[in-house]
This record gives sequence, structure tokens and C-alpha cells, in this order.
Amino acid sequence: MLPKKILLAEDDADDRSFFFDFLTGRKDIARITAVENGEEVFSWLENIQDAAALPDIIVLDQNMPKKNGFQTLQGLKSNSRYRSIPVFMYSTYADENLAKKSLACGARLVLAKPFSPAGYHEMIDQIFDTLQVEADGV
Amino acid sequence: MSMENKSPLVESLMAEMEELRRQLYEANETIEAIRTGQVDALVVQNESGHQLYTLRTADQTYRVFIETMTEGAVTLNQQGIILYANSQFALMISKPLTEIIGAPIKAFIEPATYAVYESLFHSCRVSGECRGEIELSTGGKPRPVQLSFTARDLEEGVSHSLIVTDLSGQKAVQKELALNNRELEQMNEKLEASNHDLQQFASIASHDLQEPLRKIQLFANLLRDRDSDGTGEKPAKPQLDKIINAAARMRALIIDVLNYSKLSAKDGHFVLTDLNKLIREISEDFELITQEKEARFSIGQLPLLEANPGQLRQVFQNLISNSLKFSRPGIPPLIQITASNIREKKFDSDELAYGDFCLLRIKDNGIGFDEKYTENIFALFERLHSKDAYEGTGIGLAITKKIVEKHGGLITARSKVNEGAEFQLILPLRQTP
Repeated sequence: MLPKKILLAEDDADDRSFFFDFLTGRKDIARITAVENGEEVFSWLENIQDAAALPDIIVLDQNMPKKNGFQTLQGLKSNSRYRSIPVFMYSTYADENLAKKSLACGARLVLAKPFSPAGYHEMIDQIFDTLQVEADGV
Repeated sequence: MSMENKSPLVESLMAEMEELRRQLYEANETIEAIRTGQVDALVVQNESGHQLYTLRTADQTYRVFIETMTEGAVTLNQQGIILYANSQFALMISKPLTEIIGAPIKAFIEPATYAVYESLFHSCRVSGECRGEIELSTGGKPRPVQLSFTARDLEEGVSHSLIVTDLSGQKAVQKELALNNRELEQMNEKLEASNHDLQQFASIASHDLQEPLRKIQLFANLLRDRDSDGTGEKPAKPQLDKIINAAARMRALIIDVLNYSKLSAKDGHFVLTDLNKLIREISEDFELITQEKEARFSIGQLPLLEANPGQLRQVFQNLISNSLKFSRPGIPPLIQITASNIREKKFDSDELAYGDFCLLRIKDNGIGFDEKYTENIFALFERLHSKDAYEGTGIGLAITKKIVEKHGGLITARSKVNEGAEFQLILPLRQTP
């Protein structure tokens, strides 16, 4: 697999920097971009002219102001330009109902936020494993 | 005129008058006897033989019945004039019978309910029977009553029989009932609001309380693993380990409280569950610790019962994990699970093969506990041992008890210090919807 471009929507500054600090330098990650909420996901995506420059993976936090993770997921899945981008949800507490709802809406996985640097790597491994399995399946 | 001068005609007339007077007296006596119910019929002998005379109302049983019943009884003629009323009716309107008999019944009805009365009076003549509610005038507060009309064709014309049922008591009860219902509704609203608050709290607890904890754990992890001076020395490691463990414990508590509070929410989803399969799966989950502690299981034939499988699994997970946790040092745990069907939901109930309940016993050979703490062990956050000696949040058995109760069951424990513990559960085999 080619290194992936990841778009992260996360309102918490600490969590954004954990993402950058722990994951930058991984060979399978080409670039990490972080925005602060769901609305910014769309404004950022709309500024990309070249479809090849669109992210390969979108990671959404659930609890965000303005547009939460689930609302953002719905928006992405109802947009023909973004529909095929795999979306992963992550949250401090992976509430069962929210997980069911999100998976039904097209999220690939619903993940619990990691508790350690190693946990971040495990999470990304899980994301790539899921994509790999899907790629092999096709 | 002297007695001697009386003509025989006068004398015979006097005698005849005396005889008539005697007959009249007798007739009056007879009528009175009939009226008061002492006589039901008269047999009169005349030229054509015996003749039987009875009065339609001469049945003593019915008359006594009507006088003593708690309902008013009234007979009306076609014009609505009262021909008869029992004393109960007189009591209802606080008037003597002498003022009632012969008076139009409307004189005793509240004008506001005339229309109802009129329509009852007329429709009864068509249908023969009808009933409705009106109010009687009492001189004070109007009395709500139900009128049951029956129209009857008698030789003297149509007559209406009325049974008058006093509704004041019933109305008072209805009013009280409505009041109680309103109070109940208000309490339900409060309950729903408080349940909603609890759910809100659960949601806040799950997200907002866990978020700072996660940060504590993450930063403490970072600090612990940072080789600050490049010498490979990590001086603060023991303290940071303690912070990380404390945060992890706090997190476990929050998750357990959340799970406990979720049990309050309505999710009574019961399916037929095979306990044998459930226990087999759980003991497989405990495989690692089972091997480590050389634990043995002895499991009898267990029943199929209607239950929430996820919750029941949690019950046995908690009980088995307790048995494994509170084992005596150096003695391999032995966990025995047996079941029997019983007649009643009582721990001392008789066994009965086709009983509606099953009694489950989960017995171990661990450290046990003093039975005076039996109540404590099922309470939220109660622990009998320091958390340094045995890990755990102190919520496990509280959750266990709550689940058993949600299934309409009972749980208790028997134990002696150092002689193992036995948990006993009674569960209904079938859940009533």
C-alpha cells in the first residue's frame, strides 16, 4: 500500500498534537492534516481542486462543536465526491448506540481513543489492517 | 223516643249496620295484614266455592326486600306522580314519605337535570328499560343518583318502576381516584425526569469524566517512558506508575458505574437461554487464570430459562471471577455449580421437578467471608478487603444483584471465613411479559 494521506477532525488541541507527535514518521503515513470540527472538514475538502489530493482516510472525533462526528459522517456519505473516502470514528467512550448508528451510516470502524503512544500506533495499525483486508477482498 | 218504642225496622237496620261495621273492620284488618305482609292471600268462600284473592304487591319477601335495600325504589304513574316510594328514597331526599307519595317526582329533582329525567322517562316507555344519571334535591347539596327505569303495562295503565342508586360515594371515590391519578402522573413525570437526568449523567460520566483521565494516563505514560537525561535512568517511574494505575482504576469505576446505571434503563429483552452453554463459554473466557491457579470446575445439569443472555453472562462472570479471585493461597480453586427446580421463590422452598423457579448454587473453596457481611457485599462500592489485597471496584456484586432482581429473582450468599462461599440464586424459568 502507498503511504496514506489522513485528515483528522479533532477539537481538542492535546489530542491533535498526540496524533501528530506519535504518528508522524510512520512509513505508511504520507501526511496528516488536522481540522477542528466537522464544518472545517467540508471547507477544507472544498478547497482541494485535484481529486488525487483528497485524503485517503478521514478520522472523526465524535464530540466536536458545530458539527459532531456523526453529523460530519452523514454529510460525507451523502456527498458523491467524498462518499468513497473511508471514514473512521474515534471517541473517548465508544458508546454502543453511536457505534451501531455510525457503522450503519458507512463508518468503517468505531474506535476508542488510545491511552498511550503505543495505543495510537495500535489504532492506526487497526485502520490500515481494515483497509488492507478490504483491498485484498476486492 | 224510648227503646221500647223502637220499630222492628229500625232494629233490623241497626243490626245490619252493626254487621256491616264488623265486616268493614274485618276488611280493613285484612287489607292492613296484606299491606304489612302478614297475609299473602285471602280465600273467600262463596256460592261458587273457594276463591283466592291476592294483591300484586302482597309478596312479603319482596316488600321487605324493597324496604331494607340500600337503593331507593319508586313507582310512578304515567304522569310522573309518585305512587309508591320506599323509606330509603325518603332518606335520600330528606323528606317524610307522607310528602312524597302523590307528589310529582320532578318536585324532588334538580332543575338542571330535568332534561335527562324527561328523556329517560320517555325512552323507557319505548324500550322498556333505561338508565341514566340525575341529581336529586335534598334541601342541601344535590345528590347524584343513577335512575334505572322499567316501564310496565298494568291493568291500571303504564307504571314506571325506578331503582335509585346513590352515587355520592362513588363520585367521591371517582374524584379521589382522579386526584390520585393526577398525583401518579406527576410522580411519573418526576421519575422520568430523574431517569433522564441519570442518563444524562451517565453520558457525561462516560465522555466528559473519562476525557481528563485519559489525558492523565497519556501524559503520565509519556513522562514515564521519557528518558529525560539520556542516561537510561527513569527516576520518577514508580510514582508515575501509581498515577497511571490510579487513573486506570478511576476509569474502571466510571465504566462500572455507567454499566450499573444503564441497568436502570428499560431493556427487558428476555430469550430462552441455555445456562449450560453460557457457563461453558464463560469458563473458556477464564481459561488463562484457570490454568494459572489450577482451578477446577464441577458443573451439574443446568436449566434453560428465559433471560437476558448478556446480563446473565455478567452475573456468572462476576460470581466465577470472584471465586477465582478470592481463592486461598496454595489451594487450587474448586468451583461447583448446581441447579434444582423449586416450587416457590424462597430459599427454603421444596424441590419440585416442574417448579416455576430454579435454584442455582455457585460454591467455592476460597477464603469465604463472615456471614454478618452478607448484606454489605451486595451494596454498591462495598468491599470486604482492601483494594491492594484484591483488585476490583466493589460494583460487581451490586450489578449482579440488580440483574437478578431485574429477572424477578433473588440472590443470597452463605459462607464462613476460610471455608469457601456459596452464592445462591433463584431465577424464574419463564418471564412474565
